[in-house]
Amino acid sequence: MNDGMTISVKGITKTFAGVKALDNVSLDIIAGKVHGLIGANGAGKSTLVKILAGVYQPDSGEISINGEIVSITDPRVASSLGLSFIHQELHLVQHFNVVENLTLGLPKKTKGGLIDWAATAKQLEHVLKIVGFTKSPFVQVMDLSVAEQWLIEIAKAVYQDAKFIAMDEPTAALSQSEVEILFSIVRDLTAHGIGIIYVSHRLDEVIDLCDEITVFKDGLKIMHEETKNLTKEEIITSIAGRKVETMDVFDYTFQNTDVLLRVTDLYDEKKVKGVSFELKKGEVLGLTGLVGSGRTETVMAIFGANRIKKGSLELSGRQYAPKSPGDAVNAGIVIVPEERRVEGLITNQTLNFNINLPTLHILRISKLFPLLSMLKSDKIAQEAISKLQIKSNGVNTQVLNLSGGNQQKVVIGKWLKRRPKLIIMDEPTQGVDVGARFEIYKLIRIMAKEEGTSFLIVSSDIEELPGLCDRVIVMSEGKIAGELSGTQIVKESILRLCYSSQD
Amino acid sequence: MNGSLTNQETKRKAFRFVGNYGTIIGLLIMIIVFSVLSPNAFPTVSNLLNVLNNAALSAIIAGGLTAVVIVGDFDMSIAYMASFAGVLVCGLMVKQGLPVWLAIILTILTGALIGLFNGLVVTKLNVVSVIATIGSGSLIYGLNYAYTNGSPVLTGIPKEFNQITLVRIFGKIPVDIIYMLVIVAVLWVILNRTELGQRIKAVGGNATASRLAGINVDKIKIIAYIIAGSCAAVTGILLASVMGSGTSSAGDAYLMTSFAAVYVGSATLKDGEFHIIGTLIGVLITTIGFNGLAILGISSYAQYLFQGFIILGAVALSSVSRRYAKK
Repeated sequence: MNDGMTISVKGITKTFAGVKALDNVSLDIIAGKVHGLIGANGAGKSTLVKILAGVYQPDSGEISINGEIVSITDPRVASSLGLSFIHQELHLVQHFNVVENLTLGLPKKTKGGLIDWAATAKQLEHVLKIVGFTKSPFVQVMDLSVAEQWLIEIAKAVYQDAKFIAMDEPTAALSQSEVEILFSIVRDLTAHGIGIIYVSHRLDEVIDLCDEITVFKDGLKIMHEETKNLTKEEIITSIAGRKVETMDVFDYTFQNTDVLLRVTDLYDEKKVKGVSFELKKGEVLGLTGLVGSGRTETVMAIFGANRIKKGSLELSGRQYAPKSPGDAVNAGIVIVPEERRVEGLITNQTLNFNINLPTLHILRISKLFPLLSMLKSDKIAQEAISKLQIKSNGVNTQVLNLSGGNQQKVVIGKWLKRRPKLIIMDEPTQGVDVGARFEIYKLIRIMAKEEGTSFLIVSSDIEELPGLCDRVIVMSEGKIAGELSGTQIVKESILRLCYSSQD
Repeated sequence: MNGSLTNQETKRKAFRFVGNYGTIIGLLIMIIVFSVLSPNAFPTVSNLLNVLNNAALSAIIAGGLTAVVIVGDFDMSIAYMASFAGVLVCGLMVKQGLPVWLAIILTILTGALIGLFNGLVVTKLNVVSVIATIGSGSLIYGLNYAYTNGSPVLTGIPKEFNQITLVRIFGKIPVDIIYMLVIVAVLWVILNRTELGQRIKAVGGNATASRLAGINVDKIKIIAYIIAGSCAAVTGILLASVMGSGTSSAGDAYLMTSFAAVYVGSATLKDGEFHIIGTLIGVLITTIGFNGLAILGISSYAQYLFQGFIILGAVALSSVSRRYAKK
C-alpha cells in the first residue's frame, strides 16, 4: 500500500528575536496517513511546516527521511525530496492558466523548439482527473473559484510526484460541499501512499479527517495521539492550556428598545438587493449567510465604504448618508474589517502606531498646538495592551510580528478610545486562536452590556453565533432570508435560512 | 537558556547592523579617505562650511520630496519646479517690479499650487503618480520657457535678494545652513510629531486600511504634494539668490540628487523606511562625495559615476543585509 516513507523531526528548535517559535520538537510524519497539526496562532505549527519547506532553517535539531539525515536548505531541495506545500494564500500565478501553473519551472513538451501546449496539457490529464478538475486546462487561474484553485495546487503536488503534501488552512474559504470533495481527495491520496500534513483551526474537520493529531502550544509539542483516542473536549483543553469556559448560556432578555440604526430598503451597486432591518442600542446583531450573499457589501455600505444606490439609513433617529468611511467614523460607526492585514492594520508600523491612529488628537501636548506626545501615545498603547491582553514584545512591536489573534485585538483596540456607538465586525475570529477568540467574545458582550455599544457582526462561523448574538439575520442572494432571536439561534435553523432561495 | 544567542542569531544581528548603519560607515570611510588624500584642503573648517552650504539647498528640496515618498507616491516635477521658481521670483521682481518679500511669497505659493495640482491629478483623476508628475513637470517646463522666452533673468535683481543667501552668522557660517536646519527641523516635526505626519505614514503604509480607519487618503496625499512643491520652490528661490539670476534650467539636476538622497536615506538607520534624517544623511553623502572628488581634481562627469555607485551600493547593501537578517 505505501512505501512506509517517514519524515522524522528530532529536537528542532527555532528562535526568532529571542522568542522560541519551536522548542525541541520531535515528531514523525508517516506516508499514507493524515497527520493533523493544531494549536494557537504562534504555537509553532506553521514554523515547523516552513522549516520542512526549506523557508526557514532550524537553529538546532535534525530532520531525517527514512533514517537518512537531510538538510532542507531551500524550497527546491524540499521539492526534490518529495515534499510539497500548499500555503493558505495559494501561490498560483493568477494570470497564468492551469497548464502554465502546473508546469511552472518544469520542462514542457516541445515541438521544433517551441512549447507545444496541447501536448503538455495532455500530459496533465491524469492528475487533473485525480483531483476531479473538469474545466479546460487553458482556463486562467484567476477565473477559478478558491476551491478549484486548491484542486490545482493539489494536482501540482501530485504531478511533481510528491510523497508528502502539507496543507495550510485549506477549508477556510470553502463551502461545505467543497470541503467534502477535498476530504475525499485527501483520503484518495493517502490510500495511494502519500502522507498528508493538515494544518487547520477547524477542530471538527481535523477530527474527521486526520489519523493522528499533534497539538502545539508556545513552541512545544504538548500532545500527540491517534485521533480515535481523543475527544474534542480533550483537544480544546490542551490547546487552551486550561479548562475553557464554553460560552455561558447568557440570558436572552435583551430589553432595550431604543433603535440605533434603521436600514430601509438598502440597495448597493451590485450585491445588496433591498435589505431592511433595525439595530438596537447595546444589541449584538449577527449577520450571516453563504459566501456571496451580500453581508460584507451591506456593512460596507453602512460604513460609507461602498456607494448606496437606493434606500436610506437612520442613525439615532436622524438621517445618515455617509459618503466616505470618514463620515461613518465621525458619526460613531467603526469597522473591524475582514482581512486584517490588508484592511485593518498599517502593516509596516508598530502596535503603538496602529492603536493610536484613529485618536491622534488626544495625544496633543496642548490643545492648541498639533504637537503629539510620544509619552501619551505609549501610555495609551500600554492601556490597550492590558485591557485586551495583547501578547507582544511591548508597545513598539511591529504588528506583523504579532499572531493573528493579537493582531485582531489591535484592530479592535484602536477604536476603543473613540467610544463608538456601533462596531461593525467582519469575520472577527477568522484565523484567530481559541484563547483569543473567547477573549474577543467576552469583550463584545461586556461592551454591549456595560457601555451600550451596538455590534453588527458578519460571521461565517455558525458555531460562534448562538452564544454571542442577541439576534441573527441571515442573508441569501442579496436579500434577508430570515431573522432569529434569542433561543431560536440554532445552527440548523441558521443553515436552513442560508440555503433558502430567494425566488 | 532562553536568552542566549545562537550562532544564527548573532549572524542575523550583524546583518541587520550592517543594513542599518552601512551607509553611515560608508560615509565615515569616505571622509577618512578624502582626508588622507587631500589633507590640506578637505578636512578644514572652511571646507566643511562649504559642504554644508552646498548641501543646504539639496536638503530642502529632498526633504519636501521625502513627504511624498513616505505617502507612497513619486514627484518627478520637483526639479522643474525649482527651476521655475528661480525664474519666477526674479521675473516678478524685475519684470513686474514687485518687492522682494512679495515675490518670494508668491513664488512659494505657486509651488504650493503646483503641488495641489499634482495631488488632484493623482487622487481625483487617478493617474499613476510617476506619469502624472512627469506630465506636470513638462507643463512647468513649458510655463518656465513661456515666461522668459528662454532667456535668463540676469539684470535688475534687487541687492536685498542676493543678501538673503549672503549673510554669514558670526561672520563665518553661511545663513543657508540655518535655513536648511530650520526647514529640515520643521519637516521632521511635521512628519514625526503631528497628526498629519502620522496620517502621511499611515497612508504610505497601507492606504486601504487608512481609509477604513476614517482617514481622508486623498487629502493627505494632496498635502504631501503641497509640501514637496513648496520646498522645491524654496530651493529654487535660494538658488536664484545664490546665482544672482534666474536661469531656466538652474534646478534641473536636483531631481536625481533628491531621489538619490531619499533612497540612500531609507537604507540609513532604518530598514528601508523613508525618513527625514535619512534623507539629510543621504544629501550629505552625495555632497561630501562630490566635494571630495572635486578637491582631488576629478572631472565633474566622474561625479555622476559616483552618484550612481552611491545609489546602487547603498540600496543594495541595505536590501541584501535585510534579506540575510531575516533568514
